[in-house]
Amino acid sequence: MIRLGAVRLIYVRELRDQLRDRRTLFTLVALPLALYPLLGFGLLQMTQFLRERPTKILLAGVEQFEGDPTSPLELLDDQGRLRAEFASEREAGLLEIHSDFGSASVQSDAAEPGETEPSAAETSASELRDELARRWIAEGQFDAVVWFPPGFSERLTEYRRKLVERADQPRGTQQPQASPEEGESVPEDATLAPPEPQLYVDTASDRSRIAWSRIELILSRWREAWVQRSFEEVNLPSDVARPFELQTTDVAREQTKKAHLWAKILPFVALIWALTGAFYPAIDLCAGEKERGTLETLLSSPAERSEIVGGKMLAIATFSMATAILNLASMGITGAVAMRHMGNLAAQAGASVPLGPPPLATVLWLIVGLLPISLLFSALSLAIASFARSSKEGQYYLMPLLLVALPLILVPMLPSAELDLGTSLIPIAGMMLWMKALMEGDWYDAVRFAVPVFGITAIGVLLAAQWAVRQFSDESVLFRESERFSLRLWLAHLMRDRGDLPTFSQAMLCGILILVVRFFATFAATMPTSFGEFAIVQTVSLVAFFAAPAALMAVMLARKPLAALKLNVPHWASIPLAVLLAMFIHPAGLLVANFIRQLYPLSPDMLASLEQIDSAITGAPNFFVLLLVFAALPAICEELAFRGFIQTGLECSGRKWLAILASAVFFGAAHGILQQSLSACVLGVVIGYVAYQTKSLFPAIAFHLTYNSMTMIVGVQGAWLLARVPALRFVLRPVVSEYGGTSIEYGEIYTLVATLIGVGILYCFRQYTREESLLTEVRQRYLPKTLLPAVDGSE
Amino acid sequence: MIEVRGLTKEYADLKRGTFRALRGISFDAREGEVFALLGPNGAGKTTALRILSTILSPTSGAVRVNGFDVVASPAEVRRQIGFVSVNTAVYDRMTAWEMVEFFGRLHDLAAETLRERMEALFDSLQMNDFRDVLGAKLSTGMKQKVSIARALVHDPPALIFDEATSGLDVLAARSLIDIIRGIGASGKCVVFSSHVMREVERVSDRVAIMHKGAILAEGSTRELIDRYGQPDLEELFFDLISRQDRGPDRERGAGEAGNNASQEVA
Repeated sequence: MIRLGAVRLIYVRELRDQLRDRRTLFTLVALPLALYPLLGFGLLQMTQFLRERPTKILLAGVEQFEGDPTSPLELLDDQGRLRAEFASEREAGLLEIHSDFGSASVQSDAAEPGETEPSAAETSASELRDELARRWIAEGQFDAVVWFPPGFSERLTEYRRKLVERADQPRGTQQPQASPEEGESVPEDATLAPPEPQLYVDTASDRSRIAWSRIELILSRWREAWVQRSFEEVNLPSDVARPFELQTTDVAREQTKKAHLWAKILPFVALIWALTGAFYPAIDLCAGEKERGTLETLLSSPAERSEIVGGKMLAIATFSMATAILNLASMGITGAVAMRHMGNLAAQAGASVPLGPPPLATVLWLIVGLLPISLLFSALSLAIASFARSSKEGQYYLMPLLLVALPLILVPMLPSAELDLGTSLIPIAGMMLWMKALMEGDWYDAVRFAVPVFGITAIGVLLAAQWAVRQFSDESVLFRESERFSLRLWLAHLMRDRGDLPTFSQAMLCGILILVVRFFATFAATMPTSFGEFAIVQTVSLVAFFAAPAALMAVMLARKPLAALKLNVPHWASIPLAVLLAMFIHPAGLLVANFIRQLYPLSPDMLASLEQIDSAITGAPNFFVLLLVFAALPAICEELAFRGFIQTGLECSGRKWLAILASAVFFGAAHGILQQSLSACVLGVVIGYVAYQTKSLFPAIAFHLTYNSMTMIVGVQGAWLLARVPALRFVLRPVVSEYGGTSIEYGEIYTLVATLIGVGILYCFRQYTREESLLTEVRQRYLPKTLLPAVDGSE
Repeated sequence: MIEVRGLTKEYADLKRGTFRALRGISFDAREGEVFALLGPNGAGKTTALRILSTILSPTSGAVRVNGFDVVASPAEVRRQIGFVSVNTAVYDRMTAWEMVEFFGRLHDLAAETLRERMEALFDSLQMNDFRDVLGAKLSTGMKQKVSIARALVHDPPALIFDEATSGLDVLAARSLIDIIRGIGASGKCVVFSSHVMREVERVSDRVAIMHKGAILAEGSTRELIDRYGQPDLEELFFDLISRQDRGPDRERGAGEAGNNASQEVA
């Protein structure tokens, strides 16, 4: 029973302790308060240096237009500046136009008007132009080059003349259009091809890209001027080119627009600082106390470990929240001042600033979401920091937490990320999206998904807190001594101290190894196109990536490899029971899989890949080969790895459900596709329970084989069976799939009845629990002597 | 008051494999008695006392403090003891008064009782001069006094001192020894560990000599000197340690002295 008074005492002590630490105060309080005003001031200073600079553009090949008023030279006035007709004063100032750079030397003879096929001389001139333009831009002489080809003016005139002629022709006498079946559209008249000035830019250079956008705008205005002239020549008003005008009305309220922008920025800032704010107190309250020798003082007090963790966790959470709120406040105040200043400046210039100061309500909602997230970060930081022997070590250990949390904080910032049931169940990311929804005033979604968002966060907090309590109860963690790592010593230790069964760490290592190999293999393998290829890939990957590592590690790391892989003789009844369990639990399993698919829909690419696999399956020589490849082989290989070596090793921790859940997580993760992983994880818990209760892998293999076989029978042979065995209509039914096509599913009533029977069978497995606990058995029979104290501690 | 029976403690060690820090030691410490564990570094004294104070759990064996088992009722055991160790430091950012008050409140002492006990302790341990000084600014001797006040604040029936004089100067060490003797004389049970012979001789009623996780001899200082025919505790200590290091066969010749050790070390 936790004494709240003791928790409060420890909380207040830790809080006071941290508040008396100048370093903590500086990092968590003074720095954020000073940071944003200083940053704002610095940015304002820097903006004075960040003026828009003019870009240099070469209009090459304009020498041919001397005296031609309708040539590109009409863009420029007598001083060589852009004329007011095509550019504003500001735009003209930002474009430094050069038109006399001696590019005439590379002009080839003017092509005849209407001539579209380039001559050999033209081709070599074109290559020379490319080379020159590339060199000028690379050497920084110009940021962009517009090269007008020889005969540009003549071709332009000719092109316009032919267009006008066509417009004058009566309808019906025009040349027929190319039919769409003949491929891509071609010009109606080959001689109607417009002249093509060449624009050279370097997209790897910012200056060149800016020059590109600027000159493109000017040239498009010049083009519009030509269009206007053309219309005038045929006595058409220029408005003909704009048959309607699109009027856009922004219905967003000014306040909502501001909230929308802040909703993207503030949750990110708040969570990053909440995480940072949890880091340093966690390190100081764990590793720091170890270093200063005060942890042992506290441990010898009557405070229970849960009370110590509770007090410390609340203190860390307080600093985490305070850091985030202080940052938000500082950022908000600086933002408000800066925006007002910019607004005044913009108002003087007749413009408006899209981003105003953050609305107060948005900040308040942020704090509501911040509380559970701070608790989660605090519990995780505390559990991880308890490993560390020193503050320096603590920083190394907490880095992975940052690396895991960052993507979860960043993903909700993507424009496509929205709050729905699926995203609300993702820890941290769900809370980010929930905060964003609230800040944007999306009350409907915020209320609808509050339960899953807070539920998953609460579960995370509870699990993390429980982990932290375990860490504080584990003397091998609290009194860990510094050991220099030596490969020789470690290998000697592995051989000398290996027990009959694998250890917890060896099991974890096996799981991680399988996932890493599987990850790289996914990218190395190509998508099989036939059943034969598919069968080979499936067999090789199952044997090489699952069965072989587990079997090898069992032989090398355990004195009893068979027992390490759980290849024990089970009770005779457990195998038929496992088969029945798989048959009756299968409808519920499919229901869970379908639910997960609805929650997290498959991407079109993934669907295409799965369809490819489906089509490969149809090429199987017969159904039994299919069962062998998809049911028997995975059942044996995956069970050897996950319920065999991994779960057996994890069971040595003495924690039944930790072993079952962790092996199920590895099993799920190995499936690659998220939707499959989640349903496999749920199934893994059931198989893990069967394996644990029976102390044998054989019932687990029987279950897995039957379950996979049922999937193949229902999926591949379901329709065939339904057509031939009418009685099966009570069990199966055809359903139109959301992805198109008809699939076979279990009926609702059968699913309910079968699940109830399945649960009953699962209950029957309880009888296989032996009188003595597994822990006692393991200690007496298998466990390496080196692990005895640790097991005692966990008990 | 404190009963230890067949206490063993094993650690996993990368270099040595399974390391047995305690090899089935047994002893009793009674009320009003100062019981000393004397041994060189690595003898297992700290491990034994950490188990007594429930910071570590035993691998096997039984330990009872005032009738409470350290494994079954660790919280109750912690209420029965005050633990002072070279590793139990004071908080740098708390004053002497705040630190003692914090632990008194963790023991659920009523505010008035706590204040009275603290006043009495600060007077008797002469700590009033530095009661409002932060831990970081206290001298080693002052810190040790704060630790003792922290351990005594809930008036436990048993006190455990693990190498408590380590790092203290001669005057401070002498002062601490006097305090420990006073606590023993007040009727409390005191278990005291040290590797300094003179301290042990001065303070203890009975002594157990430990080496390599085993108790080699146990009794009052006078009894042990008489039993082994050595001139003083120091000579006795060297004699027993050297016999143990020579090996179990020769050690058996030491007669009943090695009972505790020879059973476990063999």
